[in-house]
Amino acid sequence: MIQTPPKWANRFLEWFCNPDLLEDLQGDLYEMYEHKSKESVQSANFHFVWLVLRSIRYSVIQRNYQYENNLFAMTSNNFKIATRVLWHDKFNTGINLIGLTIGITCFILVGFYVQRELSFDRFHSKSDNIYRVWLKEVYAEDKIFFNSETPLRFETLLENNFDEIEFGVQFDLNNYLVGTGEDRTDETVGIISPEFFDVFDFNISSGNTETPLPDKNSIVLSENYAIKYFGGKSAVGGLISIQIGEELREFSVSAVFENIRESSSIQFDMAFSNENNLDLYGERAMNAWFSISPETYVLVKENSSISTVEEKLPELVMSLLEGRVEPGVYNIGFQPLTDIHLNSEIPPGIAPVGDKDSVYILGFISILVLVIACINYTTLSIGQSLKRSKEVGIRKVMGAFRSTLISQYITESMLITMIAMIAGIGFAFISVPAFNSLTGAGISLDFQPWHLGLYSGLALVIGISSGIYPAFVLSRLKVVTILRGSNLTNKNHFRKGMVVFQFFATVFLISSTLIMNKQLDYIHSKDLGYNYNTVVVVPLYPDPSSQRLSEFIGSAMEKGNLLKYKLEQYPSISDIGMGSHVFGTAGWGKLSFTDDNETFRQFRLLTVDPFYLNTFQIKMKLGRSFKPESTADEKEAIILNQAAVEYFGLKDPLNAQLPSMKFGEHQIIGVTEDFNFSSLHNEVDPLIITQNINILYPAISDHDYIDSPVPKLVFRYKGTQLTQLRTILETEWKSTFPEEDLNLGFVEENMQFLYENEQRTNQLVLIVTVISIIIASLGLLGLTVLVINSRVKEMGIRKVVGASDTTIFGLLARSFSLQLGIGILLSIPVTYWMMEQWLSDFAFQIPLSPWLFIVSAIISIVIALIAISYHAVKAATVNPVDSLRME
Amino acid sequence: MKGSTIGELEELVLLTVGSLYEHAYAVTILEVIKENTNRVLDVTAIHAVLRRLEKKGFVRSTMGGATQERGGRRKRFFTLSQAGRQTIEEVMLIRTSLYNKIPKLTFVSV
Repeated sequence: MIQTPPKWANRFLEWFCNPDLLEDLQGDLYEMYEHKSKESVQSANFHFVWLVLRSIRYSVIQRNYQYENNLFAMTSNNFKIATRVLWHDKFNTGINLIGLTIGITCFILVGFYVQRELSFDRFHSKSDNIYRVWLKEVYAEDKIFFNSETPLRFETLLENNFDEIEFGVQFDLNNYLVGTGEDRTDETVGIISPEFFDVFDFNISSGNTETPLPDKNSIVLSENYAIKYFGGKSAVGGLISIQIGEELREFSVSAVFENIRESSSIQFDMAFSNENNLDLYGERAMNAWFSISPETYVLVKENSSISTVEEKLPELVMSLLEGRVEPGVYNIGFQPLTDIHLNSEIPPGIAPVGDKDSVYILGFISILVLVIACINYTTLSIGQSLKRSKEVGIRKVMGAFRSTLISQYITESMLITMIAMIAGIGFAFISVPAFNSLTGAGISLDFQPWHLGLYSGLALVIGISSGIYPAFVLSRLKVVTILRGSNLTNKNHFRKGMVVFQFFATVFLISSTLIMNKQLDYIHSKDLGYNYNTVVVVPLYPDPSSQRLSEFIGSAMEKGNLLKYKLEQYPSISDIGMGSHVFGTAGWGKLSFTDDNETFRQFRLLTVDPFYLNTFQIKMKLGRSFKPESTADEKEAIILNQAAVEYFGLKDPLNAQLPSMKFGEHQIIGVTEDFNFSSLHNEVDPLIITQNINILYPAISDHDYIDSPVPKLVFRYKGTQLTQLRTILETEWKSTFPEEDLNLGFVEENMQFLYENEQRTNQLVLIVTVISIIIASLGLLGLTVLVINSRVKEMGIRKVVGASDTTIFGLLARSFSLQLGIGILLSIPVTYWMMEQWLSDFAFQIPLSPWLFIVSAIISIVIALIAISYHAVKAATVNPVDSLRME
Repeated sequence: MKGSTIGELEELVLLTVGSLYEHAYAVTILEVIKENTNRVLDVTAIHAVLRRLEKKGFVRSTMGGATQERGGRRKRFFTLSQAGRQTIEEVMLIRTSLYNKIPKLTFVSV
């Protein structure tokens, strides 16, 4: 018996050895082996392996130039053949190309959106070491104050007591009137610490780069604002006046910074130093522990960790607040800067917080679409294996290795992916503006070098993953079976599985879209308990000299009355009222007090004039609304909502009093229905409506206004012309308040703003769903053609024997029905689970009724039938003579 | 000058190639060296030396005919080239001339 050396070692040798040297080298090793194996096979084997390993030398591995050339020639040959094959079968190529292009376009756009959301605030070079401070006061289970805006003293407190912290900086936004005389405009102005620019990477483009904010009277501007206020001239050194309190102060521009990019939670266009805090807030606020105003950020030193600060903090807090709070009540914590944009567990500070779930849902869906497109390619290619089997046979006979065939087929898929990639990138770039305006996503595809790597990597992944399976299936075919002409069975469970997956994904997307749409419709159509259609809002301005909140509100209302009398003469304007908050803005004033039973209570406050409730047509459940002429009502009357009645536990509300002796003299004159004044994400909070906040304030221990409580004028506009309304308002406004800016808005717009996030997600999901349906139906169309082509003769014979067109159509349609059925069944639990997660964010949800699933199943069946029927009808009605004549 | 110098093992292999005349390939070279010098070498080392010599132009190689042995693989036969021949002559000349200069006394004194 002839012994052969270990195969693996031999194969290994063949793999690494230069083919030119292989033959004699291998021969020599064989000869040595034959010698040795006469003594002992085992030692011969061992020796052979040893020699193979010893043969690994540079001179052996080195390929000569000619071979490299050959590899190149084969690759270009592969490409040539791939081009021909793709060109030859234009129908399938078209389907694949369209599917992949759309899929890639969609993936790139949504991918950049997701990336933008996830990379918020990461552009700061020290972003990993920056934290925002939060304050959580826990007095009892349901008595928790949790805020990301913190007391003014935190900056110095943290900076001075911890070596780990390099800088503490404040960031706050406030509205001031900027400019002088006629040109005054209301601007949002930042108040920041001088070290702000050392912590964050907002680059100074001109002016004082070392110390951008050298003193109290300096101001920094963004490039946009430098142009806005100083035109083409250099802004540095220019003067800007800002009305602060009663004083009109002049600030000099010390530096101009580059416009802040959109992916930043911190946004401002002009800012002055927080050294002005003492003037702005007063001595008491500077040292207060329980007020909230700016956001405080800390920069931790390079080699320190925030956790050591967190450990030491409770002790410090207790030593400073000795006797004022129990241990565990006053908690200070830190949130990483990069966490701010999407973490909804910590209350939002100044910038709104995005929705993590939506971002993940979108990312998931865009991958799904790409997978659907890849599956199209895979299933269609496998379907073609029948057609191409002869080609494989001939190639194998001519001496093609399996690896050669595989690389040939991968080349085909790579080629088509590359074309689709280029087209997809082109489309993505073109459609960015449309995408942004449709979804409000605000992405930009500025080309960056790493994108090139991303795109080619993506093309590689798509090309290989969609081409690898067909390549294996095709190259596995046996030469003899193919060329002998015996029938190849076309049962491929893998392919069927893929089709099931496609159906599954499509049905899943359809039902998700339906559910999301229905939920949003529900929110919009839900009877909110008030009527906000055609209500116009005009923010009023308080007297600049007002000090207390009641003065703010009172002075603004007085001014509002002036405007009101003028507006009343217009017939198209009716139901004029004023109130501290309007619908569609979150964060109505939240007040807290401790009642006579020492229970901590919180409620919302709405300050109004007697007409406000009428403007919004708020229905009374008990009692009456405010009487316009009654001075008693103006002084003492309060109205509760139903939630407040239940919250305070009032049995007979009209004869009851609020549960604290400290409240001023008051009378509950009515109870309103529970109207939903914030978003439907939240339950209705207890609400007190009054004309005189001085009744309530004596008992109040803390208040929190996220929405400005300065009154707004509201009225109904019956006209149809918006420009007309604008003209009326502008003339009347100018004559009443020559110095202030007019802003007007519609409550409807604000209402939409509340659900903007969901709207945007829903919009995106809808688009992506339609796209995925298109891609999946394209694939189905291609598959039908394949199936029909392989069964043309069968159909011909069936017809000859007497089958009707409908029977044949049914037969063809049935071949996909099982897969469709499984797809639908599988999608139900997944959809159910995913949508429950999404819905749980809403306080008012639609039920997930079985009808939704039935509807989406019917939709997908109909779509599938349409995709199938075009060709199936053609196959069923074709004359059997045509299909059978060939032989 | 690189390329024309020759190492000890290379010299040995070159000599063996010359002595085997038309039958020189890695395995026979290995055997001859073993017989004559009792040095046990690795066949891969011979391969490496032969490739080096060929690159330097001292030997030339041709593929032999196929046989049933060796798994049907052909042998690569090596013959001395003109340059190889000359190098051997030079090396031998240097050696003998140096050898002749050794005083006979050296041996006696030991």
